[in-house]
Amino acid sequence: MSLDTQTKLAIYRHFAETGQRPSVEVVAERVRSDVSSVREAFLTLRAQRVLVLEPDGVSIRMAPPFSGVATQHVVIVDDTKYFANCAWDSFGIPAALHRPAQIHSRCAQSGEQLNLEIGLEGPPSCSWLFHCLVPAARWWDDIVFT
Amino acid sequence: MLFFRSEERVREWCAARGYRMRPLVTMDQLWTLATTWYSTRLQENSRRPQPDEMRSIFTRLGLGGDFWDPQSDSFG
Repeated sequence: MSLDTQTKLAIYRHFAETGQRPSVEVVAERVRSDVSSVREAFLTLRAQRVLVLEPDGVSIRMAPPFSGVATQHVVIVDDTKYFANCAWDSFGIPAALHRPAQIHSRCAQSGEQLNLEIGLEGPPSCSWLFHCLVPAARWWDDIVFT
Repeated sequence: MLFFRSEERVREWCAARGYRMRPLVTMDQLWTLATTWYSTRLQENSRRPQPDEMRSIFTRLGLGGDFWDPQSDSFG
């Protein structure tokens, strides 16, 4: 398995296990490689749109559906708290983990709380809506805004 | 990519910011998108859907047109 793939799996497994982003040093330890090589793998994964990095080029902002920073989209699976990058990704976390989840978010206009129990088969009947402002062809022009 | 309580709340949010309102997605549609995108994300051979696959996924869900086309150049 390539170092890029090992790095990707190490990052995702760390998020899945802890709900937190790993540092490059932690990933290097997990894949038994040096920090410099893993930093290069981070850049490759960023080019593949698997990772979004902070301006420092090494801190993980997004490993979709996981967010490396706190957001308004909170997902609870078992006893672990995760932050999702957006409404779509809040559903993506239980989908990625194949586990039931509680979603806590809010209406972007009114602030009304959304508390949703997601089962293995998806959400219950629910009249809330999802709205995406940016056309699909432009999502990665500024993925943080999207 | 945000949640809204109703279509009216989406309309208000867009109007307040001068944004054009986009197609709305139900929670069932969103679950299908999420599982299609992410169900293999923690596996070794996972990969992001390619443009043709994205178009096919969106079309199956009734999300067609230029807005959902990952290669559309209709949005300058």
